[in-house]
Amino acid sequence: MYKIVKYESQDRMGDLICDNYPMLLVLSRFGMSLGFGEQSIGEVCKSNNVDVKTFLAVVNLLIDDSEKIPKIIDAEISIPALIKYLCNSHKYFVEFRLPLIRQELVNALGDNTNDVNLVIIKYYDEYVYEVNRHITYEERKVFTYVESLIDTNVSNKYNIEIFSKRHDDVECKLSELKDIIIKYYPNSSSNELNSVLFDIFSCAKDLESHNRVENALFIPAIKELERLKKID
Amino acid sequence: MGQRVHVFIAEPSPIIRNGVISVLKGISNIDIAEISDVTTLMAQISRYMPDILIVNPSYLGLFSLDMLRSKVGGAIKIIALQYTLLDEAITKQYDDVLSIYSSAEVVKEKLVGVISSSDKSTEKQGLSVREKEIVVCIVKGLTNKQIADQLCLSTHTVMTHRRNISNKLEIHSSSGLTIYAIVNKLVELDNIKSVISSDK
Repeated sequence: MYKIVKYESQDRMGDLICDNYPMLLVLSRFGMSLGFGEQSIGEVCKSNNVDVKTFLAVVNLLIDDSEKIPKIIDAEISIPALIKYLCNSHKYFVEFRLPLIRQELVNALGDNTNDVNLVIIKYYDEYVYEVNRHITYEERKVFTYVESLIDTNVSNKYNIEIFSKRHDDVECKLSELKDIIIKYYPNSSSNELNSVLFDIFSCAKDLESHNRVENALFIPAIKELERLKKID
Repeated sequence: MGQRVHVFIAEPSPIIRNGVISVLKGISNIDIAEISDVTTLMAQISRYMPDILIVNPSYLGLFSLDMLRSKVGGAIKIIALQYTLLDEAITKQYDDVLSIYSSAEVVKEKLVGVISSSDKSTEKQGLSVREKEIVVCIVKGLTNKQIADQLCLSTHTVMTHRRNISNKLEIHSSSGLTIYAIVNKLVELDNIKSVISSDK
């Protein structure tokens, strides 16, 4: 049993990151760097021009994984800050994390003429293709819609409910690959293969966290914005 | 298990109900719903088909457990929420009994125990010969209709087989099945090369 602490603006950034190392990813996605010394979360956000309420909303959501959707959505989170966070997160998966795992997978499997290895890499490439499609849709369609919603008015062609309904869990297929390798990969386990499996576990977890931010913060925030725009 | 477990709590007292909910919240992979009005119990159960029902036996009143079980096809686990001493003849009809004086750890252990025993009932076995034939067809890129024609089955039966295959192997995509089929030598890569390079 451990107690879940909610972090606030006056808490030290060092405590947050050292106690919850996955928050390192959140830090870099908001464009903040390390080396903050003893400064508080509020101070570090301010010196990096990051909206502290949005930062805390993401951090507190991700730390507490007992509840899927928080009951109260903070109306004061900054949507542009959240979009920037989500775009950086997309970039991290597509340009850094997924290519790195592919590289490791190729190295760990070795022989690239073996039938099993070929179909595993093929599966992985298909998966990356799907993630790319998912992300392109979000950035081209959804984020563009939200940006125009902030500037102007409600469009009757699109609303966030459409996105909310078709937003699928992008990590499932990656977890499936890991399960298939664990259960059916015929060769004896090696340090390289274990290492790539660890990375897939953690990447699937990161993708799940990314989806939680979209489902529990982004979509409700946009629904609220749509409601306000309709009243105007 | 990746599947989320749906838990219903039927208990009239809001204090006790919320107490049980807050204890259960620490368990991962469960969704909790509450029922405060007994008259809606049957309707809610048959509509949402929960995996576990935690219920106050005196509250259950006129509903028999068998009736409840038959509504959800027998798969539901029913746990009695016990405040006072109860006749063993009553409690033994339940899958388990939770006392409101149990510690949070005991409550969690019991629930996890009930969840894992329900997992065992859908035990994973290897594929049957028929299922293997269907895997090969899927991997070759045939549609349900084509598989049905080739194996002289109805498409409905093919779909049932596919569902069982997914449940047994926990593989839900055809590219995942391709890996399974190659590893288990159900097909040769050469036989499916055209499918592999044409899709996407």
